[in-house]
Amino acid sequence: MIPMKPMAKVYTAIIFLFLFAPIIILLVFSFNSSNSLSVFSGFSLHWYKELFHDTNTLAALKNTLVLALCASILSTIMGTAAAVGINKLRSKYMQAAMNTVTNIPMVNPDIITGISLMLMFVFVGRLMGLGTSLNFWTMLIAHITFCLPYVILQVLPKLRQMDPALPEAAQDLGCTPMRAFLKVEVPEIMPGILSGLIMAFTLSLDDFVISYFTAGNGFETLPIRIYSMTKKTVTPKMYALSTLIFFVVLALLLITNLMDDDEEAKARRAEKKSKRSRKQYSLGNRGKELIAAGVIALALVGVLGASALSNSGDTLELNVYNWGEYISEGADGTLDTVKAFEQWYKETYGQKVKVNYSTYASNEDMYAKLKSGAVSYDIVVPSDYMIARMKDEGMLLPLNFDNIPNYQYITEDYRGLYYDPNDEYSIPYAYGIVGVIYNANVVDEADIGSWDLMWNEKYAGSILQFNNSRDALGTAMYKLGIDVNTTDKTQWDRALAELLKQRPLVKAYVMDEIFNALESGEAAIGAYYAGDYFTMMEAQADDVDLQFYYPDETNYFFDAMCIPSCCENKELAEIFINFMLSEEIAIANAELIYYACPNSLVYENEDYQEYLGEDMEILYPSMDGFAEKYNRFAYQNLSDDMLDYMNLLWENLKIN
Amino acid sequence: MTKKLTRKEQRGFRADQLALGPYSLWAVIFILVPLVFVAYYAFTDNNFNFTLDNIMRFFTSTSQVLQDDGSSKEVYTYLVIFWRSLKLAVISTLICLVLAYPLAYIMARAEAKVQKTFMTIIMIPMWMNFLIRTYAWMTILQDTGILNNFLGALHIPLVHIIGTEGAVVIGMVYDYFPYMVLPLYSIMAKMDVKLLEAARDLGCSSAGVLRRVVWPLSLPGVINGITMVLIPSISTFYISQKLGDGKFFLIGDAIESQYVANNLHFAAAMAFILMVVLLACMGAMQILTNRHTEGGK
Repeated sequence: MIPMKPMAKVYTAIIFLFLFAPIIILLVFSFNSSNSLSVFSGFSLHWYKELFHDTNTLAALKNTLVLALCASILSTIMGTAAAVGINKLRSKYMQAAMNTVTNIPMVNPDIITGISLMLMFVFVGRLMGLGTSLNFWTMLIAHITFCLPYVILQVLPKLRQMDPALPEAAQDLGCTPMRAFLKVEVPEIMPGILSGLIMAFTLSLDDFVISYFTAGNGFETLPIRIYSMTKKTVTPKMYALSTLIFFVVLALLLITNLMDDDEEAKARRAEKKSKRSRKQYSLGNRGKELIAAGVIALALVGVLGASALSNSGDTLELNVYNWGEYISEGADGTLDTVKAFEQWYKETYGQKVKVNYSTYASNEDMYAKLKSGAVSYDIVVPSDYMIARMKDEGMLLPLNFDNIPNYQYITEDYRGLYYDPNDEYSIPYAYGIVGVIYNANVVDEADIGSWDLMWNEKYAGSILQFNNSRDALGTAMYKLGIDVNTTDKTQWDRALAELLKQRPLVKAYVMDEIFNALESGEAAIGAYYAGDYFTMMEAQADDVDLQFYYPDETNYFFDAMCIPSCCENKELAEIFINFMLSEEIAIANAELIYYACPNSLVYENEDYQEYLGEDMEILYPSMDGFAEKYNRFAYQNLSDDMLDYMNLLWENLKIN
Repeated sequence: MTKKLTRKEQRGFRADQLALGPYSLWAVIFILVPLVFVAYYAFTDNNFNFTLDNIMRFFTSTSQVLQDDGSSKEVYTYLVIFWRSLKLAVISTLICLVLAYPLAYIMARAEAKVQKTFMTIIMIPMWMNFLIRTYAWMTILQDTGILNNFLGALHIPLVHIIGTEGAVVIGMVYDYFPYMVLPLYSIMAKMDVKLLEAARDLGCSSAGVLRRVVWPLSLPGVINGITMVLIPSISTFYISQKLGDGKFFLIGDAIESQYVANNLHFAAAMAFILMVVLLACMGAMQILTNRHTEGGK
């Protein structure tokens, strides 16, 4: 029937190659021995081992699957019923109205569906006097909402194509409408229902934006976790996870295919025996399957809900909100600091505590989440300027230092900094300085030393710039010697002009992508944090030689542990902070983060110094006049008006 | 419509309306009410007083753009951004349609077992996280990436893709391709083979069958596919960040950056405008198809 069969084959093969190209890449790089996603250094199972030790990632995987399963099944049931109803609507206007409403979640950008649902949940939560209105259930509702139209869109065309005489005939033959629906209509539209179900499951599995806004305490899904890794880098661990998912899905599909074949064979035998038509046989079966699926779905939702709500009184809960990849989680034989705390607390106080650990990608994301008032976290780790902002807005609680005796190990140098001059609200966790990283095989020694390197026309097309407004404008301001916290708009305009001048030379505006670009030699120059330079160096390609220097004027930043005003158990939070400052724990975290640690138990520890070796010198800057330099060069909180202006400048740069 | 309903039929209609009940309720609470929030934010300032400033800002805000000859030109910031998003999304959607249509046709005409296998192959990549897959594309497309290594080995001139509009389009086509194939396939699988054979028997060429029979019959699937690809590609921001080297600021990026800057009201205003435009487009498309299918009868 198809005359162009060979051509069709070639065509399909090309399409499938296109679809699977990235899958092959992530499969290969999941076995990389270094942590690069673009330079293959050698075969290793290292990342698989790490994956199985990473309890938080595995928990996120479980959450993602559970959510997708519940959302897809519930939306399929409701969506199919809705499609049937819409199809039978007799008024054309009603049909058009329903279609329009159904289209809305698809016509709405994800961000808006997410924000608008969040606003509503928060509003209702306040009305009902709940402290935290976002949880598993709100996320489930959001997922069902955006899955529904896809299900309906899959089922409705099938219903339209179906001969309307079919169910009528069944009813004439004595079927009840329900029975006619299950026995005649459902099998007829089954392909639509199934593809709707699969589509809903896939969408829910993959969704990031909507989940992000509607997620609450302690229910972190995989996409959120991956997105939060943008401050550090996405590691091959995530590729390893994807590879495993790939093979599990493949196996499942093979099994179901085999089972189907088996069923078909049986059906054929049955057909021969009783002369019953095969179609009828499978119809009855399908109806039962559908009901069974429904029952399983409801049971699942019930069980999950119960487990989500069962905060039995004897277990304390602590909600920690931190940057992605910013705590030692037991990967590769290191210490799982969160687990260690749970254990230690039980041994010391005789009471169980459960730490719900979630991650964010930027200060602003974290701020927006807390500001909405829909979540309650007990500990957050903002950067300096954000601490100042939150403090000003009354979003932080003063700490009780009696519960944090380990604060004594934070030396004078790191106290009294501008964002918390009286040391009331924050305990420094990590700090760093922005420097310039360059490939010595490409860049002349004579050109290095200042910010000018990033504006050097010799290296046009090899320069990377920050992909966020404050940091990018910052580099221009340091270069020009402008105060990065100025409220003089003409100075900001000068910074923009400098960035516009740089734009033709820039290869890419990057955040975590800088790791791949520099490691592989794709680009030769970029500014980033000192600790990350070492991560890149370890993974660099053979013909790349990454080097690093600090320009005279550059950004200093601190990330510090704080207790937000929505905290529900302040003493427990303080005990946790104190625990994080203890020697073994702090060292484990410092070794993972690879930024400088302001804790003297860490930087004076000989094992730690040995672990860092020569890196120590670059990572830990001289303390001469540190506080003075820090207070001068660090970003401070800008007014809303200035932030708005900065955004305008950024958009101007980006539309060029 | 004057025909009186039998009791049986009435019972049937009641059951169908019952089926629509839960969804109607859901749609009102979780689809319509949140939209009211978006509109409310779009038309108010930080103190929730009525204002048109946010909407006006979208249409009047300007930027200086440097031109090739070094002079600068004043343009409407958000209109430029919006136009660029729309352009890339439409191109991606059309490419998806052109690539997916033959595939869906081949699938629909194949044996049942092959159909199932194809379906599986198309769905599997989507079960790996979207962020991760886009990341993998960076490894393929970058100048020193897999593609250029491959071309280099074959002594074919290297290509520069990453950071161009082309790379963003590739990313969009890749990520949303299945959303085009599925609706097309699902409608073509239902097509009556006898119709095609009849057309052929009546002397229609292969191309004629395709143009006069297959295409009109598949139109609802085409519309669905276009909707499902166009919308996510118009509002994406992750793909443009990763594959566009951060150089292509799309409307999704603009909304996100306003949200991050804690400027919810302007973010809502942009979303509101985007929504109105898209709803109008979809509505127009719906009317056109309705007219078309009715005309066909």
